[in-house]
Amino acid sequence: MAGNKGRGRAAYTFNIEAVGFSKGEKLPDVVLKPPPLFPDTDYKPVPLKTGEGEEYMLALKQELRETMKRMPYFIETPEERQDIERYSKRYMKVYKEEWIPAGPKPKKAKDAGKGTSLTNTADVLKKMEELEKRGDGEKSDEENEEKEGSKEKSKEGDDDDDDDAAEQEEYDEEEQEEENDYINSYFEDGDDFGADSDDNMDEATY
Amino acid sequence: MTQAEIKLCSLLLQEHFGEIVEKIGVHLIRTGSQSLRVIAHDTGTSLDQVKKALCVLVQHNLVSYQVHKRGVVEYEAQCSRVLRMLRYPRYIYTTKTLYSDTGELIVEELLLNGKLTMSAVVKKVADRLTETMEDGKTMDYAEVSNTFVRLADTHFVQRCPSVPTTENSDPGPPPPAPTLVINEKDMYLVPKLSLIGKGKRRRSSDEDAAGEPKAKRPKYTTDNKEPIPDDGIYWQANLDRFHQHFRDQAIVSAVANRMDQTSSEIVRTMLRMSEITTSSSAPFTQPLSSNEIFRSLPVGYNISKQVLDQYLTLLADDPLEFVGKSGDSGGGMYVINLHKALASLATATLESVVQERFGSRCARIFRLVLQKKHIEQKQVEDFAMIPAKEAKDMLYKMLSENFMSLQEIPKTPDHAPSRTFYLYTVTILSAARMLLHRCYKSIANLIERRQFETKENKRLLEKSQRVEAIIASMQATGAEEAQLQEIEEMITAPERQQLETLKRNVNKLDASEIQVDETIFLLESYIECTMKRQ
Repeated sequence: MAGNKGRGRAAYTFNIEAVGFSKGEKLPDVVLKPPPLFPDTDYKPVPLKTGEGEEYMLALKQELRETMKRMPYFIETPEERQDIERYSKRYMKVYKEEWIPAGPKPKKAKDAGKGTSLTNTADVLKKMEELEKRGDGEKSDEENEEKEGSKEKSKEGDDDDDDDAAEQEEYDEEEQEEENDYINSYFEDGDDFGADSDDNMDEATY
Repeated sequence: MTQAEIKLCSLLLQEHFGEIVEKIGVHLIRTGSQSLRVIAHDTGTSLDQVKKALCVLVQHNLVSYQVHKRGVVEYEAQCSRVLRMLRYPRYIYTTKTLYSDTGELIVEELLLNGKLTMSAVVKKVADRLTETMEDGKTMDYAEVSNTFVRLADTHFVQRCPSVPTTENSDPGPPPPAPTLVINEKDMYLVPKLSLIGKGKRRRSSDEDAAGEPKAKRPKYTTDNKEPIPDDGIYWQANLDRFHQHFRDQAIVSAVANRMDQTSSEIVRTMLRMSEITTSSSAPFTQPLSSNEIFRSLPVGYNISKQVLDQYLTLLADDPLEFVGKSGDSGGGMYVINLHKALASLATATLESVVQERFGSRCARIFRLVLQKKHIEQKQVEDFAMIPAKEAKDMLYKMLSENFMSLQEIPKTPDHAPSRTFYLYTVTILSAARMLLHRCYKSIANLIERRQFETKENKRLLEKSQRVEAIIASMQATGAEEAQLQEIEEMITAPERQQLETLKRNVNKLDASEIQVDETIFLLESYIECTMKRQ
């Protein structure tokens, strides 16, 4: 009421002189949007240092980048399966050494920190041998595959020492499995081929 | 960890170790210390891959582990150590200047592999050096060993903490993870090895291993099954010692710029004498008497004792206070004020940034506010002799960019703006922190841009690599000029120009990264030593 100097005109609550604007001066425009993402710079940046040392370090940096990609520490992401396997892929593979960290058995550190999702390789191998001896291929087909799967997983981990031996054993397992498959599932002596399916035809199929 | 640091760590890890390690590393940096199962669950990666990634990170000293109560092992990432990966070229180049090629390769191998035994390092370096030598010459292991011992003596490489040799007092099960210890005395103790041998040249037949099945490969690497004599004693590069060296270099060059060559040599001598006696985080070096300095000056410098005294007095009186006089015995006791020196360097960096960004008038205002500590706006105009409007504009610009801050001093308890003093001030610590954060952002931007440029021209790069490979193989088998010409023309002229531009841009971006890292080093050292003091 009494405080208004003129109808509708705002009065500042502080001394405008202190901020640096003189009375009645045109104030700068209100900013309505965020500052630009790449504002123009008034001053161009100083040129980079050049010299023998800088050039050497540059070459070193680029070399190191390339070298690191080839080291066994660079873990590549496993590629997704492609629909068609290209022939040339076989010859363009980059071979890397499998790096296994040295030192005390890493098994112990890992075992404590995790659950028992991975079975111990030695146990698996023992079991496989027992099953071979029994000559029982039927029931253990699934079990075999499971164990093989887990064996593969533990093989990729750093616990296994002899990759070659495991590979050979697996290969043998596969062969034996196939033979067992053939012998046990379809053709038993004297049976007709379609005999089994006939039996099941009695019931109505939906 | 700030977002900028995390982003930069992520880019560095991805470039050097691949995506899986990057995912695990960044997760650890973000969330602090976690156990194996939690990491696997939170990141959604298989346990196997997490293990591999952690192996790589621990090997390179980027992640440490600790056994907590109830036998849980927790892993923690060291963000600052990841950022050191930017500085690898500088470490290697420094070793080259100090210990020539042999030392350079030793440090390179240690940095690339994280931790290595001495025998492994010597063997690798000897092989690499032999490759570059002329046919028939080989590198002897003894020479490499000598350089290694020298590096250990000057503390540039140090032993990693190892499993303690416990007497069999506790019969219980071994702990889930060993607690590694290292004795201070043993850190630089080189084991007595008699490494006899020469470097081997890699035969070219090894290169054609492309077609062989994978099963055969391990046979090549396990040639020598002899027991390694120093198994269990691993070495790593001592980054702190390198940082101390860089800091000394910066101080010496600052003195050389400010005064002259001779005074910088004197300061260099003083720093060299205090290398081993002063710890790297001390505020100033041990006092050195003028006589000692005189005796330790490098052989080529023959300045008389009086001249040396005069130089020392000049250095001590300099307003920058790099050198201080702490006593009069022995011809005058002098110290180098390390913390003050770092503070001056950080301030100089800030001033230079203000100048390049806002102009020299702004820089004058900035220096004025630094000098006066707290100053009102009206006084700025008067002291700097800059018209009011411009001065106001510049002050606000610097304020908005956080180079300066405002200090309010109210006259009345109600803090009314018209009755409050507003003083401009520069706190170097906070300005340095702000600048450091900006540096991290810049490097992240530089790396992203470089990767973008490379990806854009990926097809062209691959083509040029193929052409080079073809030319190389044709030259090896002996081809005529015409054929080589034909192959070279596979890359058209505009493509060649594109490649040139790409190469120039990538070089520029890489060089910028290295030079921004120098600023980061200065600012980080300053912040670290100031925090320690408080």
